[in-house]
Amino acid sequence: MRLADYLAKMRPTTTSPPRVKLAEIGWSWLGAFLGIGAVAIVEYHFLAGTDYVMVIGSFGASAVLIYGAIKSPLAQPRNVLGGHVVSALVGVASYQLLHGWMWVACAVAVATAIAVMHALRCLHPPGGATALIAVIGGAKIHALGYLYALIPAGLGALVMLIIAVLVNNLAPTRRYPEYWW
Amino acid sequence: MADEAKSPSNQLCRGLARLLAISDEDVVAAMRTIPGFLDITPGDFRELYEFAYAHAVSRLTHRLLAHQVMVRAVVTVAPATPLTEVAATMARAAVSGVVVVVEGRPVGVVSERDFLTRLGGGEVESLMAIIAGAFGGTGCAVGSLKEERAEEIMSAPVVTVEEAQPLCAVADLFATHHINRVVVVDGHGQLAGILTRHDLVRAIFGSAEVI
Repeated sequence: MRLADYLAKMRPTTTSPPRVKLAEIGWSWLGAFLGIGAVAIVEYHFLAGTDYVMVIGSFGASAVLIYGAIKSPLAQPRNVLGGHVVSALVGVASYQLLHGWMWVACAVAVATAIAVMHALRCLHPPGGATALIAVIGGAKIHALGYLYALIPAGLGALVMLIIAVLVNNLAPTRRYPEYWW
Repeated sequence: MADEAKSPSNQLCRGLARLLAISDEDVVAAMRTIPGFLDITPGDFRELYEFAYAHAVSRLTHRLLAHQVMVRAVVTVAPATPLTEVAATMARAAVSGVVVVVEGRPVGVVSERDFLTRLGGGEVESLMAIIAGAFGGTGCAVGSLKEERAEEIMSAPVVTVEEAQPLCAVADLFATHHINRVVVVDGHGQLAGILTRHDLVRAIFGSAEVI
């Protein structure tokens, strides 16, 4: 490829999408408040003082998709649930096999999570964070072992998903999901 | 893929897709009417739309068959029909071409263009050139044709398609032979109908008037 052709690829080809309406912004806020609130209340009121975890950072990213970009294929139930569980398994395996080389464990966890999500048709961007957290999340996360894939990853995603189905469909202009599986 | 792209019917599909080309502004306007955030750029949507449209046209032209689109009421003449009568028949039926048949089998086509070619001495003459010549000359440009018969000016051999051929094959014939109509024949080579560019466009768009 010639250098000029290569550089020409960096020129924009289209415009950016329009801003959503105010009501839409309101529904996104409400969904995220209730969804994250639900998992956080479990974490801080019911699991406080236990070895269990309910909130992980990647749920913040999931909230953007399932309350803010609900038409996206990345935000459908198959992707949300599948993406978190599969990535969590990949992340835990990466840590357990490679914790002697932490930087390698990090890189392998995220890269492999993306590849597996692609292969299983459940690509969900927050899954990359779920895999990374399994490696860098500290002693409490490491102690969970493969349970991390069920609680918090699977259960938290499920709770947020249920709230997405309930809240998004209250909005007259919203319909969720586009497909379940 | 490369061979496929070269075939005229694919050119037809892509040409029609270009005809209905949409701009980024169109897509952004449509996105505004759909509430909620759509996870696609206007450019990607436009590309998707163009491919989908070309695919739909291709599906349509492969599924529609010649006999579903052709006109069955064909105006025919015999090889020995005098051109005076051919011209009168074409005028009365308001058609620009008639099929020359022998025992139900098409052997040629006489169109307005064949008349003009004859008057031009083998070259396709424009109508205006003939009118201009008539003003300057004898006053009757077509007098020389009075004694001739259909078989002397008809285009032959005739370009035919079978009834079960898809429309994309018909479009290929229009493009490769530079013609405006093909004769449709049944399995025994008997005349079944006629299919013009007009019919092709009408079949695809529902009405010829849109373009």
